[in-house]
Amino acid sequence: MKMEAFNNRNVTEGDYYLVDIEDYPTDGWGKFKRVVKRSFRGELFVGLWVVLREMIRFDIHTIQYPQEKMPIGPRYRAIHEMKRLWESDTERCIGCGLCEKICISDCIRMDTRIDEESRKEVSEYTINLGRCIFCGYCAEVCPELAITHGGNYENASDQREHFVDYEYMLTPLDTMKANAQKEFEGFGAITPHEDERVKKTPLSY
Amino acid sequence: MSKIIQFKIDGKDVTAQKGETILQVARKNDIYIPTMCYISKTSPCASCRMCVVEAEGVEGFVLSCNTPPTEGINITTNNQELELERTNIMKLYDVNHPLECGVCDKSGECDLQNKTLEFNVAQQNFSARDQARKIEDWGLINYDPALCIMCEKCTHVCNEVIGDDAIDVKFGGYGSTIIPKNAETLDCTFCGECIAVCPVGALISSDFKYTANAWELSRVPSTCAHCSAGCSLEYETKNTSIDNRVDSIYRVKNNFEFTSLCGAGRFAFDFNNSAQKSQEDFNKAVEALQNADAIRFSSIITNEEAHILHLLKEKLGVKLFNEDARLYASFMKAYSSVSGKLHHSATLDALKQADAVVVIGSRVATDNPGVRYALTTASRHNGAKIVYAHPMEDTLMQNTATQFMKYEAGSEEGVMALLANELLKDVDVDEQTRAFLDNLDLGYLEAESNVGDEEFTAMHKSFARAQNKVLVLGSDLFAHDRAQNIAKLGAIIEKYTEFSLLIIPSEVNTLGVSLLCDLDIDENIGNVVGYNTPGEFIISSLDDADLAMPALNQQEGTVVSIDNRVLPLNVALPFDGYNLNDLANALGLEKQYTIEYTAELDKKLGFNATEFDALENFLSTQGEDIRGYLLDEVACESDGILEEIADLPEFNGTVIYNSNPVLQFNAFTNRSEHIERDTTLRGSAQFSAAARIADGDTVEISFDGKTVQRVFKLDPELKGTIALNPTFDDVADASSYKFLKSKIMRVV
Repeated sequence: MKMEAFNNRNVTEGDYYLVDIEDYPTDGWGKFKRVVKRSFRGELFVGLWVVLREMIRFDIHTIQYPQEKMPIGPRYRAIHEMKRLWESDTERCIGCGLCEKICISDCIRMDTRIDEESRKEVSEYTINLGRCIFCGYCAEVCPELAITHGGNYENASDQREHFVDYEYMLTPLDTMKANAQKEFEGFGAITPHEDERVKKTPLSY
Repeated sequence: MSKIIQFKIDGKDVTAQKGETILQVARKNDIYIPTMCYISKTSPCASCRMCVVEAEGVEGFVLSCNTPPTEGINITTNNQELELERTNIMKLYDVNHPLECGVCDKSGECDLQNKTLEFNVAQQNFSARDQARKIEDWGLINYDPALCIMCEKCTHVCNEVIGDDAIDVKFGGYGSTIIPKNAETLDCTFCGECIAVCPVGALISSDFKYTANAWELSRVPSTCAHCSAGCSLEYETKNTSIDNRVDSIYRVKNNFEFTSLCGAGRFAFDFNNSAQKSQEDFNKAVEALQNADAIRFSSIITNEEAHILHLLKEKLGVKLFNEDARLYASFMKAYSSVSGKLHHSATLDALKQADAVVVIGSRVATDNPGVRYALTTASRHNGAKIVYAHPMEDTLMQNTATQFMKYEAGSEEGVMALLANELLKDVDVDEQTRAFLDNLDLGYLEAESNVGDEEFTAMHKSFARAQNKVLVLGSDLFAHDRAQNIAKLGAIIEKYTEFSLLIIPSEVNTLGVSLLCDLDIDENIGNVVGYNTPGEFIISSLDDADLAMPALNQQEGTVVSIDNRVLPLNVALPFDGYNLNDLANALGLEKQYTIEYTAELDKKLGFNATEFDALENFLSTQGEDIRGYLLDEVACESDGILEEIADLPEFNGTVIYNSNPVLQFNAFTNRSEHIERDTTLRGSAQFSAAARIADGDTVEISFDGKTVQRVFKLDPELKGTIALNPTFDDVADASSYKFLKSKIMRVV
């Protein structure tokens, strides 16, 4: 069917026809007849049969949430995580401010300062999850793969602030020790075989 | 030979004035030629070679930044070869440039970043062995040689515009760096102009470093509130932190292509005040004003506030005390009585164009850096002959002044008379003036002022071929006993010679206040309300106020600069308390906002009826100053008569000179956490011997009926028996002459 047919608002032409609807009963007897007709049509037993059949088969798809959880895809964008460097376990974030800049719901804020070793340091970092639309731009723009999305979608709490603490987002050190930090594989992440595709600067020495 | 050259750029007919370069003409005509090292206010650095163009009939490329066009030539600014040349230059700039844009403060406003993207440099075909380069910490300024692209803008500005000549290029091919000139570490006036012009993140303010990104800051165009030069600047603000959403100023920037800023303007921006509204304090202030006999105030206020005070005087019958502006006003009145004009004739721009300058009565480098930078520009670009007459030599002016004329403290009237005598020698003057000049006892004046005849002759000779001459009179003169006659002598010189006259107002709005307020002599009576000054009840934007007021970066208003230009100030930071207009309204004046007075400033004084919101505050792309408006020239009666020169006073023994160290001007700069507060009494070895004090001694200085305790610092750069006594920490009194006989005692 072409779009024109839908856009044509003139119902008198084209394929329009009236649905045959029985008149509503007006008296008590008429209403009673309708109830009996609807109740004993046999459709009730179709539903009962389906339930009975599945019960006998023992092939149940229901997940016992929250005891059981579905695995979620690597590109799922839930609460942000802050990654650490594999080499030194220090934070990857360099405080460049690009996530803050790109954020379309303007929910990321950071304070930076110069630290004792004359490096740029993030002194405070917050994400207002009340505003966040989980678009993933911050993870995409991050030059250090520091801010990523994680799989933790359970953000029901009496306070949203529980999920925006920098310490909370940062990979715990024992996870690093266990070598268990998971890299984000969503948009903006390094693709496989990236090393082979890098064009090298000619350093002839 | 005609002065106008006609030629073509990219097929477009253009004309050049004599002396203009191809690049200047192209920019005037909106033709784009990329540059990396060019900066309009200095001579071309010619280090980047990005501005190459092709000229028809000339083999090879031509540097447009330092080549003047010839008649009828055809210039091509862009073709494939030029594009390739420029792209290769960009690639060379990018060799080993650290890829740390993520943390670099310059990211987002970086010339290298912009041009690299403009020329689409995605790969690198060149390489060089990288070197270990240490980041230098020079106090307020940090230098990272790894980021430096050696454009040499900083050295050119430091030498040609500022005059510090403190940094230099250490040549060494790929290992070239910027180093402090003839010193281990940077020893300069810390104007920070090198930070401003640096196209990359190599020179960075150490206070600002890593605190914010360029794109996060809001820009508030305003005018510097520290001295009368009225430099344009932009306050850049952002919320203080995540936890404190109130804005604070992160840094100050200026339009460095055309204007300069001193270190006080650039770093001492944190003089704002904070307060909450307190009805109780407000009522007390209203009551105090109602019962006051006088209001004492400083000149660090806006024209609108001055006007309000003037209206309050009319309404309440209070006296207005402001010695600084009163003395300036009486100096200007004497000047006007001879010149027949209300305002002095020269501007800083005129000073930049000058080729002969005489400066009298000002330690210019610290009194008004804007004047100093104009002098440096004149000296470097026009080879100006600059005579610097002052009782104390100033090492900061050494490279700029061509002749130092040392006179005895207090003998300014004599020096002015001798100067007038010399300059008016062969000039046709009226009878009265001729009689005055003939009557001068030259021998006495020369002996007492200690300036010889030959010094004036040498000066006059060096001015022989000068076209644009400026006489600069400084703030030493305003409180001189014979100030009126000095002003008249200045006016005579202006009237009969080619010299235009520049008078340096002592504070940011001394000029405006002196015009707008009818001031009374400060009688030191009781029951005075002080506005930013001492009094029985103090309303102030400084500490220790009975009612807090907004500082000049927290209110709208205008000030009058040294150029007689009415300049707008804008609100960079919020202020929650009351302002002077609220008090005035409680006392019966009726205006909702202070700036409603802007259009009401007296037209008879040269102000015009422009509304505050109609005042522009920017420089055009060609560097034309479109800020505020210039005061109209006002003619007045010229019935003044030169008085006979009085006996020149003698200043013997230990003399102190009220003069601030660099970067410090007043109580507001004193509030800044960023700049150094040097409150020492600085004197030469000769002074220390005369006063019998040594370096590091705590001394008690008695002058003018006052006693101050200071630490004495031996300054090897000073000479003579006069020591420098800072005034920014509020010890001096504007009513007294800046040279003072003093008694100095060592505190044991």
